Amino acid sequence: MWASDPDLDEPLTLDVVAETVGARRSLVMRLAERGLIETVNSETDGPRLPRRVVIQLRRMQRLRRDLGVNYAGAAVILDLVGRIEQLNRELAEMHRRLQ
Amino acid sequence: MAANVKDYYEVLGVKRGASEDEIKKAYRKLARKFHPDLNPGDKTAEEQFKQVQQAYDVLSNPEDRKLYDQYGENWRAVKSGAGAPPPGWEQAQRSTRAGGSRPEGGFDFSDFDFGGFRSAGDEGFDIFEEIFSRAGRGRGARRGRGRDVEAELELSLEEAHRGGRRTLQMQATELCPECNGSGVKDGKTCDTCGGAGEVSRPKTIEVNIPAGVRDGSTIRLAGQGGIGSNGSEPGDLYLHIRLRPHPLFRVNGDDLEVELSIAPSEAVLGAKVEAPTIDGKVELTVPPGTNTGQRLRLRGQGLKKRKGGRGDEYVRMKIVVPKEVSAEERRLYEELQRISRFDPRRNA
Repeated sequence: MWASDPDLDEPLTLDVVAETVGARRSLVMRLAERGLIETVNSETDGPRLPRRVVIQLRRMQRLRRDLGVNYAGAAVILDLVGRIEQLNRELAEMHRRLQ
Repeated sequence: MAANVKDYYEVLGVKRGASEDEIKKAYRKLARKFHPDLNPGDKTAEEQFKQVQQAYDVLSNPEDRKLYDQYGENWRAVKSGAGAPPPGWEQAQRSTRAGGSRPEGGFDFSDFDFGGFRSAGDEGFDIFEEIFSRAGRGRGARRGRGRDVEAELELSLEEAHRGGRRTLQMQATELCPECNGSGVKDGKTCDTCGGAGEVSRPKTIEVNIPAGVRDGSTIRLAGQGGIGSNGSEPGDLYLHIRLRPHPLFRVNGDDLEVELSIAPSEAVLGAKVEAPTIDGKVELTVPPGTNTGQRLRLRGQGLKKRKGGRGDEYVRMKIVVPKEVSAEERRLYEELQRISRFDPRRNA
């Protein structure tokens, strides 16, 4: 779903991510510990999260709010939607090549 | 800006006397179908979801629902304490209850996250109030920092490769200048914003597209998202790049692939031919004995990478035979057939 992208690779601290999405730091930390959001290796103290996590978290929040799923469910949904998007693009490309 | 909307009960497909549980179930069912995060890029689904969410926001709140049932589209004005409903509200309400579209006015949806394009921000964080540190604000209250906004930007392969500036016309949400965000003016629902307190205005922004973006890349434009309240910083704009299919080139990561037709004699004897690249034509040496499907690499003629360098271009050979030949060509092909020892089915 997420290509390597300098605009979204920027490492942010837990505090910045939490502040940006309006969440408690402990919640962001918990999601990172459970592998539901991506973290990047950091030589400094404390984990870092790539900026793309901000978008991911907001989508998870919306799915949680609107569909009533939990964060783990939202993470799975986003992963599957990303895969469907990718498959649709490949399918469109194959159709184009067959024409 | 105001748009006519359907009756909220009709939008959710429930009866007027539906229980809270029935309303919630109907909302969840429709949300699963139309949610913008589940239908990326689908504007129709996005519009449907806006209506569903608007309806649910009102009908899921007992106080708002009661006012809506009583005053129809003017319930916001009554709620804000702006006084008695405007003249004619009873007629509007009757018309609504009859199942038709609202005869006048209606709501602008610009207070929604997905207005015009996908918005990463969350104005309606209500459900997270137990969890999120910003809990406690009123329902629908504006947060301090502006909303982050997501939008899709379609580029040609050439634009993505070269980068450059691009002017975008977008719909930006601003506080309604008529009612200063209150949603009410002169004791009535504000005509300009339909009671939303915000209006959607066209906004032109210059986007610097870095060379080497790809399908699925995201460009972040800091401070170009939703407005912040009380002088706080605006949100960011995230542009998700979509590449239009190219008539010639197929993209494979940083590499490009293109098909090139060659004549049988060029395939057998080798030749120097012109091959298309993303930057124009270059001379390509086709080695003698080239077959259909064989790929020749043009090093460094692929797409620019964001962090410098370039991919390669692969030219896939396709031997094309003439449908019609002259008498002289036919004579030479017959002569070739007679003297040639080549058997393409030798290993069959």
